[in-house]
Amino acid sequence: MAGRWRGGGGGGEVVGSIYSVLALVLILVACVELGDAATAVDVYRLIQYDLSGAPYGSRLAGLNHHAGAAPFAPGADLSRTVVILPVRELNLTFLQEYITSKQPLGGLLLLLPQDIRHKSAGGNKSRNVGLLRSLLSELEQLLIHVNLPYPVYFAYEDDKINAVLADVRRGDATGQPATATTGGYKLVVSTPEPRKASSPTITNIQGWLPGLVGDGTTQLPTIAVVASYDTFGAAPALSVGSDSNGSGVVALLEIARLFSRLYSSPKTRGRYNLLFGLTSGGPYNYNGTMKWLRSFDQRLRESIEYAVCLNSVGSWNNELWLHVSKPPENVYIKQVYESFSEVANELGVTVGIKHKKINISNPRVAWEHEQFSRVRVTAVTLSELSVAPELLQSTGGLYDTRHIVDETAIHRSIKLVAESLARHIYGCEGKNIQIFADNSSLAVNPSYVKSWLDLLSRTPRVAPFLSKNDPIISALKKELSDHTDEVHLQHESIDGMFSFYDSTQATLNIYQVASVTFDLLLLLALGSYLILLFSFLVITTRGLDDLINMFRRPPSRKAKAA
Amino acid sequence: MTVFHFFNCAILTFGPHAVYYSATPLSEYDTIGTSVKAAIVYLGTTLVKLICLATFLKVPENDSFDPYQELLKALIGFIDVAGLYFALTQLIHRNISQNHKFQAVGLGWAFADSVLHRLAPLWVGARGLEFTWEYIFQGIEANANLVLNLSLAALGSLMWLRKNKPKTLIPIIYACAGVLATMPSITSYLRRALGWHPPKVVAFELASSLVMAFISWQLFAACQRPSI
Repeated sequence: MAGRWRGGGGGGEVVGSIYSVLALVLILVACVELGDAATAVDVYRLIQYDLSGAPYGSRLAGLNHHAGAAPFAPGADLSRTVVILPVRELNLTFLQEYITSKQPLGGLLLLLPQDIRHKSAGGNKSRNVGLLRSLLSELEQLLIHVNLPYPVYFAYEDDKINAVLADVRRGDATGQPATATTGGYKLVVSTPEPRKASSPTITNIQGWLPGLVGDGTTQLPTIAVVASYDTFGAAPALSVGSDSNGSGVVALLEIARLFSRLYSSPKTRGRYNLLFGLTSGGPYNYNGTMKWLRSFDQRLRESIEYAVCLNSVGSWNNELWLHVSKPPENVYIKQVYESFSEVANELGVTVGIKHKKINISNPRVAWEHEQFSRVRVTAVTLSELSVAPELLQSTGGLYDTRHIVDETAIHRSIKLVAESLARHIYGCEGKNIQIFADNSSLAVNPSYVKSWLDLLSRTPRVAPFLSKNDPIISALKKELSDHTDEVHLQHESIDGMFSFYDSTQATLNIYQVASVTFDLLLLLALGSYLILLFSFLVITTRGLDDLINMFRRPPSRKAKAA
Repeated sequence: MTVFHFFNCAILTFGPHAVYYSATPLSEYDTIGTSVKAAIVYLGTTLVKLICLATFLKVPENDSFDPYQELLKALIGFIDVAGLYFALTQLIHRNISQNHKFQAVGLGWAFADSVLHRLAPLWVGARGLEFTWEYIFQGIEANANLVLNLSLAALGSLMWLRKNKPKTLIPIIYACAGVLATMPSITSYLRRALGWHPPKVVAFELASSLVMAFISWQLFAACQRPSI
């Protein structure tokens, strides 16, 4: 047809110019990036890391497959299907079987319930939340300890994605799973190949509250308060770790604030130096704590009387545990424990003691205080956890969000630690004096605690993905320097065992696609429509004979026209 | 697959114009020049229309139907008729019969309209992965539009080019032309004020254009008779 058009005599040149203009416009338009997905969802990729060279986590990031939803027919080929699994109805054994049998998947999209992000109202939900919590932590442990050769993403349930899921399910129920020939939904994540994060750094932050140097003494003893602030979880972009160890960080900041008020006046300045340390690398055997301790000189290390490490102190009811690595009969340990349990009694809570010997040959460091013990500094860890977590366990994963943290628990923890430290510093043990009494000028500030807890619960803090001057690190540094002196940052690199890959979050585009058969049928329908139209027009305007002639001798018409 | 879909929609949108040109005697009498000129007139008319719209209309904050604005829009829509008048009467065509002239003008007019309004959305939208019925409807709409423009051009040629037409038919011709010219406003009213869904709107457009085409055809035939 185009040839016939171009042959159009006088209008030929005009048509030619129109064609060139059209071509130009088409080229311009073709350069426009297509971003017209019906639904775009924020998704968070499962962590990808190597542990001593062995690959773990999701090894791919790019996704371009059709969506499918459980239940599947046994033996169905899912290698080109993105399986959408709502965690709420997740059958963990199904997933476990799938993973252990190493069956290929096109991809996995896990839908997290909104409950874990927002505080759920109503009492009857709390049981569900508890179930969900254990399910999520099991899922997390399952996913981070296997090598999955396909992309795995997390997304929060919302109306859009639930509608898609319902539609996919309906499609699966009526017919065979969606493939290119039956339409359905296509899930696309276009993201570059994940790259190994080059030399991830960990940053320790420390601050001092120097004590009052009296006459005769040259060096004061030091008490260290330490909390590890970074997290690790299945989805690095969701690992906010409100309880582990956001609660510890908040408690440390508040303790620093309280003591800075006491230490600001020479009358109430104690005869102890206080050292505050926010350490990184907690999930990786407290690697940052180790480097931090190594950077101390011998004299400083020896001057530390004891160190209190705060770990997960935000969601306990009545019982906290003091974890130690020297036997409880040890005189220093006994002294610390007694001072804690005395205050605990007054607060109406109990503090238990747990002794776990350290094995120098074992690289696993379960508690932060063990790093201190390894350099022969007396140290304890205060935690709500009664047993030592395994590697990469209880490090602020998926379920560890703001709503599981109880502010009053943090208050009590802060009071417990601050009070027992103050009694030790000012020598008031055994006397019933409340230094940080409620409603006094030295009371724990609930809004301060809340605002810091909220900030930490919004900020994923997986150390390899935090830059050296990440906003959260700057914020912690600034906050610590408001209350303490000589604040300084120590940048270290994580020891070789771990290496991480980037692209932790992406945008998932969900397209509703038509099948190829549909387009083929459409083409057929259109072709017959145009042929019918052509025949109709020829018959009405020129008569039937012309139409027949046209098929008999095609060139005759051209000859006539010329 | 998506390029395939784009191809399908493009066939639906632009195919009928080409088929019309090649199937009717238009191709035999080589009226492409007339069509191209009509298309250029359409471009000019659209430019004028755009300037008028930009001058006189407020930017709507929402998608609601404002009767006053729509009336204004319909009035501006009549610029189309003026453009068509110009294309039919003022352009110096090669010596072609009135019969072919209005067809060529209507075809060029409709084709330019399709290219201008539908090609870019089609190119951007139909190649995407996402499937919607939108572009198929748009193609059907283009078909209806072709029929509508041809009818309007036919009535225009009756009004302005034919001198000896039966007096009784003149008011009917003008009424029909009026209806045809306001058709875009009517569909816009249906779509926006009554909230009709695209399938319904497109079906209405198709049905109304076919009815109007039939009426115009009858009128044209009635005017043809005495001259024979």
